[in-house]
Amino acid sequence: MKKIITLLCLACLISASAAAQTKAQPKIDAEIKALEPSLVKWRRYFHENPELSNREVKTGAKIAEQLKTLGFEVQYPVAKTGVVALLKGTKPGPVVALRADIDALPVTERNALPFASKVKTQFGGQETGVMHACGHDGHMAILLTVAEVLAKNKSELKGTVKFIFQPAEEGAAPEEGVAGAELMVKEGVLENPKVDAIFGLHIQSLLPSGQLAYRAGGLMAAVDGFDITVKGQGAHGATPWDSVDPVVISTQIIQGLQTIVSRQTELTKAGAVITVGSIHGGIRRNIIPETVLLQGTIRTFDDDMQKKVHEKIKLTAQKIAESAGAKSDVNIQIMYPATINNEALTNQMVPSLVRAAGQENVVLTQPVTMAEDFSFYQRKVPGFFFFLGAYPKEMNLQIKPTHHTADFMFDEAAMVTGVKALVNLTLDYMNQPTKK
Amino acid sequence: MKKIIPFLLAAISIHSVAQVSPKVQAKFDQQAKAIEPQVIEWRRHLHQNPELSNRETQTGAYVAEHLKKLGLKVQTGVAHTGVVALLETGRPGPVIALRADMDALPVTERNSLPFASKVKTTFNGQETGVMHACGHDSHVAMLMGVAEILTKNKADLKGTIKFIFQPAEEGAPVGEQGGAGLMVKEGVLENPKVEVIFGLHISSITPLGKITYRHGGIMAAADNYSVLVKGRQAHGSTPWMSVDPIVTAAQIINGLQTIISRQTELTKEAAVITVGRINAGIRENIIPEEAFFAGTIRTLDTEMQDKIHEKIKLTATKIAESMGATAEVTIRRGTPVTYNDPALTQKMVPSLQRAAGVENTLVINAITGAEDFAFYQKEIPGLFFFIGAMPPDTDPAKVPSHHTPDFMIDESSFVTGVKAMLNLTLDYMNARK
Repeated sequence: MKKIITLLCLACLISASAAAQTKAQPKIDAEIKALEPSLVKWRRYFHENPELSNREVKTGAKIAEQLKTLGFEVQYPVAKTGVVALLKGTKPGPVVALRADIDALPVTERNALPFASKVKTQFGGQETGVMHACGHDGHMAILLTVAEVLAKNKSELKGTVKFIFQPAEEGAAPEEGVAGAELMVKEGVLENPKVDAIFGLHIQSLLPSGQLAYRAGGLMAAVDGFDITVKGQGAHGATPWDSVDPVVISTQIIQGLQTIVSRQTELTKAGAVITVGSIHGGIRRNIIPETVLLQGTIRTFDDDMQKKVHEKIKLTAQKIAESAGAKSDVNIQIMYPATINNEALTNQMVPSLVRAAGQENVVLTQPVTMAEDFSFYQRKVPGFFFFLGAYPKEMNLQIKPTHHTADFMFDEAAMVTGVKALVNLTLDYMNQPTKK
Repeated sequence: MKKIIPFLLAAISIHSVAQVSPKVQAKFDQQAKAIEPQVIEWRRHLHQNPELSNRETQTGAYVAEHLKKLGLKVQTGVAHTGVVALLETGRPGPVIALRADMDALPVTERNSLPFASKVKTTFNGQETGVMHACGHDSHVAMLMGVAEILTKNKADLKGTIKFIFQPAEEGAPVGEQGGAGLMVKEGVLENPKVEVIFGLHISSITPLGKITYRHGGIMAAADNYSVLVKGRQAHGSTPWMSVDPIVTAAQIINGLQTIISRQTELTKEAAVITVGRINAGIRENIIPEEAFFAGTIRTLDTEMQDKIHEKIKLTATKIAESMGATAEVTIRRGTPVTYNDPALTQKMVPSLQRAAGVENTLVINAITGAEDFAFYQKEIPGLFFFIGAMPPDTDPAKVPSHHTPDFMIDESSFVTGVKAMLNLTLDYMNARK
């Protein structure tokens, strides 16, 4: 019964907010369309001037400058190089946060674009190019354009919009400590004023341009790391009976770990992945080593499942080691939580996406096993994260312009849809009739 | 240092063993040759009248009659159908036991010999022929011959000789006790207390005229084990609701193999862990609650045997726990290792060499089959060896193995067996301090 009532209420909300927004939509859409040239200009500027995680100094300064020009209350730097800006509407209402991530990657661009990146740097002691190979340049351009549109409609705003330009989404070096969204949350970005809901998007180079893809619940995986040190006893390779062989035991553990997913995890609730990405043991073919180190990544979409998988990894590794007279030290590093879209919020906001992209272009997506640190905001406040499709029809999909590769490319025309989506979400959320 | 001393002692003993006078040796060799036709005749009678384990009534009576005729003190009905006879010389000396096993197998003979078995019976509810398909007929006949020669030459002997004709070497029928274990239990090694025991096995796959032996474990201990993996039942489509005993059992079976490959000193002795059967489930889309598998463990060293038992328990229980299941491990000790006392073996090799010739007396690899002669050796030092009986001009690749309908042995091998047993007896009693 409870479920039915919620659905009915949702239906009310949807129709109410949709009605509130329908009248203003053509005007807003026209304003956005008019800003498209500047949108593309912003994107190309950022694309040509990429900066690595926690090094987004020029990027941050440029954003701060623009937001000040728009007359916002600007905080800079936040979480090292981030920018936070407030746009206060003239009417009372909720605080809506909109987030864009701003960092680039150590990838050397191979595209022959006039605005291709020529930036070079050192990363991990290696010479490398720097490239916006994940589309964060697009995110910034979109959010700056959203800021401009909303600033023009300040008099219509019921509540406050908090713009969050976040560094280091791709992750900082371990010695730099907490970074990205986690650091922003720690520095209080969701307080003063307290944020009621947060929205964010990610450009997806493999989805058709102009499509919006979303999912209620777990959208992107939690990522955790594990290190298993199998401690046996070394011996000459010719006399395994004098050893407790950590290599053979490791292979048994690897097999055992796979059965956690295949046999012990409720895969219809959510998928899960346990990958052993690295195994290192031994130095010479005829020496049975004393220890073997297994390292891997865990991807889950559900907190309970995540906890259970962690426990089972420990049990499996320890007991199988014991079965052969060895020991396993299991160390699990909790990294990014799952990007979980608040179900009620997601269902409430779908019409905003539909009006931005058209009914036929709003699609449900499967969860993806990649991770996104937007999840740290969603731990604190209801949030909704979705994908903006951006591959042009003429693009050859045989050479997949996958994210994080030198050939990564997206269709700039898709960005307008992204702006529309974020503007609609903000206005619809503010205009919902029953908020508090 | 400790190791060197037994070797020196062994060397001294070897020297002292080779003491039988050439004259005596020649006499016994001649008598062994002379008795050959009778041994063959007895063997053919037994071959034509095979009886299954613990059912060797006619065989026992046939043996007892012969031994009584020789004037020996005969005990019948030992361990069901066994026969034990004593040859007392009246002179001080060791008590030496010589053993032959008497039972046949539920195999239907396919050989076209004039004395082929035509005996039929039911075994485990099935109609079957009965056949001496492991050569125990020859063991009995050879030992009857040895008993006759030793009795006739009593004046040359000292000490006591105990002839053991044992039933049920192949294993007693379900629900019955039997074989060497039962004979030991019934005191066959006491009154008088036996000091040493010798036994042989005919081998259809060893060339005629050869004697083969090995120091230490020659045939394996055979223990049975079973593992019951207890998980939780669920629909086959929702493994996460289950604790899957089949996948758990599969991991345990892999783990058990690593006990041999990684945890056992294979240069000391070989070892085998076999899963011979696995049973779980009733329907393809039900994950069952339990999986059961059972197998056999073969070891050639008692210390290794104990270690492997412990490791099987550890491997099964811990791997089960790794998946949230439990494993109940049951290990049932069966026949122990047929272990040739190394010092005794070393000492007695010359006796074998004089029976077959030095060039025909060979050391072999251990055999992972089991033999219940081991139960005697568990109590006292013993030596067990093989008599080659593969007819000449046979393709070794095509020789019918033991326990098959085509099993056949070359009867001219029997003389070697008789000589070997005679030499062992004489040499052992004369080598005594």
